[in-house]
Amino acid sequence: MPGDAFSLAGIVKTFPGVHALDGASLSIRPGEIHGLVGENGAGKSTIIKILAGVYRPDQGTVSINAEPVPSLTPTFVHKAGVRFIHQELHLVPHFTVTESVFMGQELTGRLGLAKRDMRKKAEAFLRNILGIDLPGNLLVRDLGTAERKLVQIARALIDGKAKTVVFDEPTAPLASDEVETVMKAINALKAEGIAILYVSHYLSEVTDICDRVTVFRQGKTVGVFDQIDADSSGDLIYAMVGRNLTDMFPQKDRKSRGIGLEVSGFGDGERFEGVSLKIQRGQILGIAGLIGSGREELVEALYGLRSAKSGSMRIEGEVTRIRNAAQAVRAGLVLVPRDRRNAGLVLPMTVSENVTLAILERNSRFSLEDRNAARKTAAEQIGALDIRPPNPDAVTRFLSGGNQQKVVLARWLAKTARVFIFDEPTLGVDIGAKAEIYRLIENLARDGAAVIVSSSDPVELVGICDRIAIMMRGRMAGELSATDLTVDGLVAATTGAADVGTLADAVA
Amino acid sequence: MPSHSSASVRFSPNLTGYIPLTIFLGVLVYISLNAPNFVTMRNLELVLMQSLPVVLVCAGLAAVVMAGGDDVVSGGIDLSIPATAVLSAGVTAQMLTAGWPLALCSAAALAACLVVGAVNALLVTRMGMTPLLATLAMFVAVVGVNNVITESRRINVDHTWIVALRSQDVVGVPLGITLTAAIVTLIFFLLHLTRFGLGLQAVGGSRDAAETSGLNVSRLFAMSFVVAALTGFLCGFFLLARGAGSSPGVQDNLMLEMVLATFVGAAFSPRRVVTLWGAVLGAVLVTAISIGFKSMGVNVFWTGLIKGSLIVVVVALAAVSNRVR
Amino acid sequence: MTTTLTGSASVGNAIMRFGFLIVFLAFFVLFAAWNPVFLQGGNLSNIIEGSAVLMIVALGMTLIVATGGIDLSVGIALDFGAAFAVVAMKSYGMDWFGAMCAGLIGGSVVGIFNSVLVVGLGISPFLATLSTFFIGSSVQRIFTNGGGPISHRRMPEEFRNLALGDIYGIPTEAVVAFGLTVIYFLILERSIWGRRIHAMGMQRSAAIVAGIRVNRILITCYVVVGVTCAVGGLIAAANIRMFTPLSGFSYLLDAIAAVFIGAALHPRGRPNVPGTVLGVLFLGMVANGLNLMGLNFNTKDALQGIILVSALALAVAQQKMRRS
Repeated sequence: MPGDAFSLAGIVKTFPGVHALDGASLSIRPGEIHGLVGENGAGKSTIIKILAGVYRPDQGTVSINAEPVPSLTPTFVHKAGVRFIHQELHLVPHFTVTESVFMGQELTGRLGLAKRDMRKKAEAFLRNILGIDLPGNLLVRDLGTAERKLVQIARALIDGKAKTVVFDEPTAPLASDEVETVMKAINALKAEGIAILYVSHYLSEVTDICDRVTVFRQGKTVGVFDQIDADSSGDLIYAMVGRNLTDMFPQKDRKSRGIGLEVSGFGDGERFEGVSLKIQRGQILGIAGLIGSGREELVEALYGLRSAKSGSMRIEGEVTRIRNAAQAVRAGLVLVPRDRRNAGLVLPMTVSENVTLAILERNSRFSLEDRNAARKTAAEQIGALDIRPPNPDAVTRFLSGGNQQKVVLARWLAKTARVFIFDEPTLGVDIGAKAEIYRLIENLARDGAAVIVSSSDPVELVGICDRIAIMMRGRMAGELSATDLTVDGLVAATTGAADVGTLADAVA
Repeated sequence: MPSHSSASVRFSPNLTGYIPLTIFLGVLVYISLNAPNFVTMRNLELVLMQSLPVVLVCAGLAAVVMAGGDDVVSGGIDLSIPATAVLSAGVTAQMLTAGWPLALCSAAALAACLVVGAVNALLVTRMGMTPLLATLAMFVAVVGVNNVITESRRINVDHTWIVALRSQDVVGVPLGITLTAAIVTLIFFLLHLTRFGLGLQAVGGSRDAAETSGLNVSRLFAMSFVVAALTGFLCGFFLLARGAGSSPGVQDNLMLEMVLATFVGAAFSPRRVVTLWGAVLGAVLVTAISIGFKSMGVNVFWTGLIKGSLIVVVVALAAVSNRVR
Repeated sequence: MTTTLTGSASVGNAIMRFGFLIVFLAFFVLFAAWNPVFLQGGNLSNIIEGSAVLMIVALGMTLIVATGGIDLSVGIALDFGAAFAVVAMKSYGMDWFGAMCAGLIGGSVVGIFNSVLVVGLGISPFLATLSTFFIGSSVQRIFTNGGGPISHRRMPEEFRNLALGDIYGIPTEAVVAFGLTVIYFLILERSIWGRRIHAMGMQRSAAIVAGIRVNRILITCYVVVGVTCAVGGLIAAANIRMFTPLSGFSYLLDAIAAVFIGAALHPRGRPNVPGTVLGVLFLGMVANGLNLMGLNFNTKDALQGIILVSALALAVAQQKMRRS
């Protein structure tokens, strides 16, 4: 196709036992932002790796700048001006901005490194192209996540030879207010005439920023959308999953069954104070709030990971003091943490070992473990939550994000807790697994648990919660009923664009 | 524990960063008040001369830690450097007494040391052994081989060059100090002002980052072991000069001193990372304190206790002041 | 070894899986061929008896490595165990039982000190136990006025039996080592505490979130290890009827090596008791076999070091292949 910066057609790639790609095609034009969406396992990462020259396709043709190329190698692809912005930031914390931007491609002068020159160039690039003022001597560890992302982008583009840039989930680690900074930078690149492939789970971003979108399903290209606007997401979802997902969020006709958790005057003496919350059994309370609002710290303090300096807590009416996670678990309050790979799961352990980690006593005699009983408990949970593969001895590291999340949940279900806290429950989870996780959360509430969902995704909060508490600058700004709340209304409330009190009146 | 640094807080090195260093200097001030002979040019010279072997191996260790990351167990560490140093001394001494010219002796020692570095690199980057384990085992093996070479005997060397390393002054400064300063400066240049050095640091800081930047991670990490072996090779000559001969059993003490100085040095840096200057400073200050207490008349049996407590105080304070920040 | 052979394993596959075992056997055959004395019952029991103290220290090391740390002060705990016991008998005239209790208390002092450093002050285990090593060595030097041994010729018979006696014909020290091995095996590989220890060793933050009291476990582990190593010290003291300062250091490197050989043999690379046993026996066999070859001391030492490096490399490489 003339004019395409990059084009792959009829790509087939099989791994032992798996058809990763089965006739997929993808072409990107210069100066456009091209979205690539699909569920986990649809073949997105495989095609990126083919593009990068890491995998060699079994069949299919590849052309760069309208010229067919016989085979791709990483070096060739780099020379052809294709750059990859990986999902992980891949930065060295104690390197300066300048050192990070020029990592592996340092400029040299007559006497070793041309430090001043590099700093000037890095700062200029960040300012002029990406629109951010960052002193070159700042350390990466002192940067915010969005700033780090921009440094990562600058590193890929600083040599000025980039023609195509592939963004793999660029906003995944970002808070919603940081997303805009990165979006602006990506748009600026587009204005430079660079072809951009934008791979993301976040459909609202895709419809927002992309000019065209390619949809993958089961290794095939099932649609290329040339007209993208805010209303396209329904069509995209239909193409991605092959069915309508109107029932993504469960019905909300939950009744409260008495108070589950009650906190008052809660504060850590640092990041938040004076927080009071009441969660009914059988209901879901959302907590919304931007980065820095104290929302994350509140969750940590509720679970004893951060010490609470003031305030009191009651669980089902009983005064409870929680100073560490072990006490929280014993009191029946459990957390599904946001960072499931580090805090949620012991990845080198098997599914069975992870599921039974909090109920070891139950499957033991004289403190010696009954492994068969443990495996049976795990198998029950695997069945109940439809964890795949359904093998208690599978090593957790090799499960997909959605299934890993289910393993964390399975552990607490086996424990029969009374209060569940979910911190960003669907971070990095694909859309099909998302719906499942929502259903599981919903079931918990129906079975009488008090559930808290802390999230930066307003759609999620409005979709599943009964009420939503809003944190702002370390304080509780107010609480809204989610029944008639719109997503826009919630965003307005969390960003301070609308007053929570007025909104509450309007909703009521 | 899930902790997330907030976007708005920017860290500027403040005074709490220097608490461990201050304590060290405080101890030295205390010593110099109680041991009047401590702060004399002669004594300071003695301290520096004494610290030279440790300084060299510390510089080598710093390079490996920078390339491998500073987690002691899973990151970069090379415990075999002191054994390499002893091997260098042993080979050189043995050949010198057999009547070979110095140039040939040092070439043979260099070759032996490079083999050690290469085996270390191979074990770590090819076989996938943790550096701690690989280099600890190599320490044992190299010391064993060296004992075969020297037959566990002390060999005296009176070659003019080796003696000069100990007693020759150049423009009023002992030759040994000048040479070591030059070597350390060279290593500094290599680590901080070349693409190689930055690559090395990138690998240590974040392996993934280095990989995605197209750096050859395992080659860089492997090279750091070669750099370390080179410092061990050089250190061998200073060991020869100090004891005027190769003597068995030096390596154990040198290894402990090296680890102590390098990681205490990390506590000196406001960011608590192992740096070349931190390691060198650590080596000098630890020696200064040893000599200082000795000149105060403290029984030598107490040295270990004092050193151990110093690690505890300095490292614990570093941990605490980081937590407070 | 907990690997199981699947039906379709080829010869190459088998070598890969059992590479270390094959080397173990190869050495065994080599030593046996070199000197027939090697195979005699007396010599084989010598190997086991001679490995008892190392076995005990290596068990402790296995536990600490499983928590995700390392203990460089196992030798100090061993020395303290010996010193406390000998001094209790010699200077305070305690009987054998009191002396043993004193020795165990001596070991626990080291363990408590370590746990204060690691848990209380948050120092990394490597540096914490290194400073314990420095301090402990110094204390021994001060106490013995420079490192001279404290001998106690008139040691009670019961105490001496710890090293010289036997139970139904089996040397007491071997019985003690075996008993401790069984206990450690049950704790680390079969009990719910073991699961918690492994979980925190592999991913500390996840263990915390799962409600595991990691600090309590760490403290217990360090104290238990101190006491365990002190048992080794008791045996060593009973054997030579004296306390030799700083003698525990010689077990450190071998203990670490045994643990990591063992971990490399585990299908998922975990430190484990059966693997450690295999590692200790391998080291004991090599030392004994080289002795019987009649090599001079230095050559034997060097060969032992080289075999150690090669064995570790092989075990690790084997594990790497098995994983991929």
